[in-house]
Amino acid sequence: MGQQLINKEHITHKRSMKAFIRKHIGWLFIIVSVLAIGLFYFYPMIEAFLLSFQSGAGASLKYVGFDNWMRLFGDPSFLAALINTSIYLLVQVPVMIVLALIFSVLLNDPTLKFRGFFRTAIFLPCVTSLVAYSVIFKYLFGVDGIVNHFLLNVGAISESINFLADPIWAKIIIILAITWRWTGYNMIFYLSSLQNVDHSIYEAARIDGANAFQQFFQITIPLLKPIILFTSITSTIGTLQLFDEVMNITQGGPGNATLSISQYIYNLSFEYTPDFGYAATVSYVIVILIVFLSIIQFKVAGDKK
Amino acid sequence: MKKYVWIVLMSIGWLVLVACSSGEETNNSSNEGTTEYEETNAITAWAWDPAFNIAALEHAKEAYSGDYDVVIVENAQDDIIQKLNTGLSSGTTKGMPNIVLIEDYRAQSFLQAYPDAFHPLTDVINTDEFADYKTATTSLDGKQYGVPFDSGVAGLYVRTDFLEEAGYTVEDVSNITWAEYIEIGKDVKEATGKNMLTLDPNDLGQIRMMMQSNGSWYVKEDGSTPHISENESLKKAFEVYKGMMDADIAKIVSDWSQFVGAFNSGDVASVPTGNWITPSVKQAAEQSGKWAVVPIPRLDMEGAVNASNLGGSSWYVLNVEGKEQAADFLANTFGSNVELYQTLVQEVGAVGTYSPATEGDAYAVEDEFFGGEQIVSKFSEWTDDIPGVNYGQHTYAIEDIIVTGMQDYLNGTELSQVLENAQSQAEAQLK
Amino acid sequence: MKKCKRIFIYTFLSIATIVSIFPFLWMISSMTNQSVDVTRGRLLPGTHLFENVKKLFETVDIVPALVNSGIIAVVTTFLTLFIASLAGYGFEIHRSKGKDIVFNIVLLTMMIPFAAIMVPLYRLFGGITDTMPFFGIDTLAAAILPTVTTAFFIFFFRQNTKMFSRDLIEAGRIDGLSEWGIFLRIYVPTMKTTYAAAAIIAFMNSWNNYLWPLVILQSPEKRTIPLLISNLGSSYSPDYGMIMTAIVIATLPTALVFFFMQKHFVAGMMGSVKG
Repeated sequence: MGQQLINKEHITHKRSMKAFIRKHIGWLFIIVSVLAIGLFYFYPMIEAFLLSFQSGAGASLKYVGFDNWMRLFGDPSFLAALINTSIYLLVQVPVMIVLALIFSVLLNDPTLKFRGFFRTAIFLPCVTSLVAYSVIFKYLFGVDGIVNHFLLNVGAISESINFLADPIWAKIIIILAITWRWTGYNMIFYLSSLQNVDHSIYEAARIDGANAFQQFFQITIPLLKPIILFTSITSTIGTLQLFDEVMNITQGGPGNATLSISQYIYNLSFEYTPDFGYAATVSYVIVILIVFLSIIQFKVAGDKK
Repeated sequence: MKKYVWIVLMSIGWLVLVACSSGEETNNSSNEGTTEYEETNAITAWAWDPAFNIAALEHAKEAYSGDYDVVIVENAQDDIIQKLNTGLSSGTTKGMPNIVLIEDYRAQSFLQAYPDAFHPLTDVINTDEFADYKTATTSLDGKQYGVPFDSGVAGLYVRTDFLEEAGYTVEDVSNITWAEYIEIGKDVKEATGKNMLTLDPNDLGQIRMMMQSNGSWYVKEDGSTPHISENESLKKAFEVYKGMMDADIAKIVSDWSQFVGAFNSGDVASVPTGNWITPSVKQAAEQSGKWAVVPIPRLDMEGAVNASNLGGSSWYVLNVEGKEQAADFLANTFGSNVELYQTLVQEVGAVGTYSPATEGDAYAVEDEFFGGEQIVSKFSEWTDDIPGVNYGQHTYAIEDIIVTGMQDYLNGTELSQVLENAQSQAEAQLK
Repeated sequence: MKKCKRIFIYTFLSIATIVSIFPFLWMISSMTNQSVDVTRGRLLPGTHLFENVKKLFETVDIVPALVNSGIIAVVTTFLTLFIASLAGYGFEIHRSKGKDIVFNIVLLTMMIPFAAIMVPLYRLFGGITDTMPFFGIDTLAAAILPTVTTAFFIFFFRQNTKMFSRDLIEAGRIDGLSEWGIFLRIYVPTMKTTYAAAAIIAFMNSWNNYLWPLVILQSPEKRTIPLLISNLGSSYSPDYGMIMTAIVIATLPTALVFFFMQKHFVAGMMGSVKG
């Protein structure tokens, strides 16, 4: 009798042990990442936050309270950067995501010939060195560049356009450059996720008489939703932190017409007499914007929280 | 299924191996680094151009007779700026060099942002022996921190063949004003179809050169008060710049390679810039004999001279272990060695700012590419005439504001308005 | 009709290909030209390939830089894949309120520009240089460590895990596999293409990473490829023919990694793999 009781207790204990392990083993899976992120990203991030309340040249920083945050509102360079970045974001991210989706669906077709070649070619821009492609873009769109030659020859324009010296054209070129470079990159994420989609779903849909468009909108898009959410958030982050293209193609010019927030941060930290405090404040503007946009994107995607 | 487990296990094993061996490797070499330092007193020096200042360091190292080994490390200029700023502001001096080359426009910014980071060299070199204009930028609060290196003395590189076609001689473009330059430019364009020069809307080096030829800068003498709306030289420089655009004698470029490409392919008739461009000009070997160098044009106003500066840099010693050795190295090489400067001119083409050196033979050498002229001796002669200005610590911050202003001005906004806007913006930004 | 559609698709892809690879071809063409021709914007291949390659190998230590970049990129890729997939799996499959909060904090760290945290991070490594020299400033380990665990890949694996069938996990549990066994024997093989995509991106990011290696690595013998190329371009009279040669060499590894990895993107993999 007593023995039985102990056994029973032992069993329930064992069972609860197992339940306990199952409930908490998840932490074991994430513990390394959480510690590393905490040390290498979260802790410096807090330091940067404290820095955003300080100002001064180089190593001589002083606490200035909310001065940096107030300074943002009266800083024309910052406002220009904010507006430019918003334009890049609104125009470029949707176009790129849609293009990448189209490419990935086309290139996922097993009956397509030269698939590997096409995929590699479309992926190549994000591998191509920044140095090379900034030189190329400047040549293509120079006053006597190839694009102008072409447009003049076909009679579309009567006089060369100085693309990089015109505030609107320069922005368009930056948008083209980002799209050119990152579409293939985003395509990878879709391509890889498409493999996880069971092909029989498409077979079934085809039997039901769904055409390619219907398949795309009613099967592919809903199935890829987690990845579409992923790419929209990471592209949003990428665009808000945009630096390489601007730095290498226009350096923010003409005037401040193409300046991005990240390039302004770079200028404040390295190009001018460094003010790491104010640079940190501007960085946190990016953080706030992304947090805000990400919440919207999570909501739109209907990701259950 | 088993296959995958094996793959994963093997990769982890391999990874641990690689990580360990690379860890060991780095461990060893960092140990070696420190012992090397203790035993042989190695000092490290950073500079950026292998064909220019790195080469100069190599020659200095050869000429140096001290007991210390000098390790020369090449880093891109922007990279040096980022490394220095990150290192110095984090307060860890580990990994910092002993000697570093800093562009003159940025020197004050570093000296003031990191007050204790640099080692004063007041007793190490005799500043009177260097070109006057260099002293203002390399010292702070009466203490000398930099050993002046290259002269950024500007010259007007001209294509004699294009000038001839338009009916001008080399004398006609010597010691002229910018207004005269524009007039000549128009004639050259008419006769040859070539533009007179290149302009990069994002790089106002031309404006800087024009201002300095009249002893003026974006900031007042204190180095920090913006001097824009009441700056007559700047105003004049703006007018000249617009004059060039209106006269349609400028080819617009958007980066360095296009700038170099323009004169290499014979698209422009002149290049007004610093003397360090000489190697790039000579790169187009088939143009040998078609070039000449004359003094840079001056602003058409009282006090302006036909001499100016663009760029140029100086050596600094960081306040870290080994600073005495580093100072000793600089004192015995760039600080006093006349022979070294001869080698620099001959082998590297670097025009120094050390006055006693200019008497040497190397400065008088004739260059066939430039029609047999003694261009080095010319450049060093002009160096003495460069008006000294305090660049202060905000050159690039203000220039970004000015670049925007220039766009407005070219698009028709009134000049006084443009400069007043720039002034108030600079005042707001540079508190 | 169907043929028409095919022709349209091929035309569309061909145009996209030309636009995509044009700068790449120019790069390759430039590596056969001398500097003067590159600055003049010459498009056609020239005859200076051998000269450029020779100059490159003579003037800079490109081989050690390739080795350094290789070590960093390979180690980073493996560690990233391992750590991030574990975390992505843990966050999604073993979801709990507490973990969701932690996950949101992790996501937050993806949003700050790296330039803003660089100085504190550098100070962190400066602080441990004396006590743990092989993780300190100027070591490959320090160049690798902060880059292996990024919110980006954790997020990527978590989103992909959302598409992973829970039935497979239940099946594994019924078969008596441990939680670890389920991850290793069911999840990892099923998510092969996700790993392939992550490997491409992780390799590329690491291979091209610039800012962090720049500040943390000091001695020339530890330099990575992007730092070396940055040096080549900063001289007053850069040799563009040689630079382009270096760039082409620097680009090839990532292109090759992609080319071999993309073969794993074969439609309908899912059905053929059984846990």
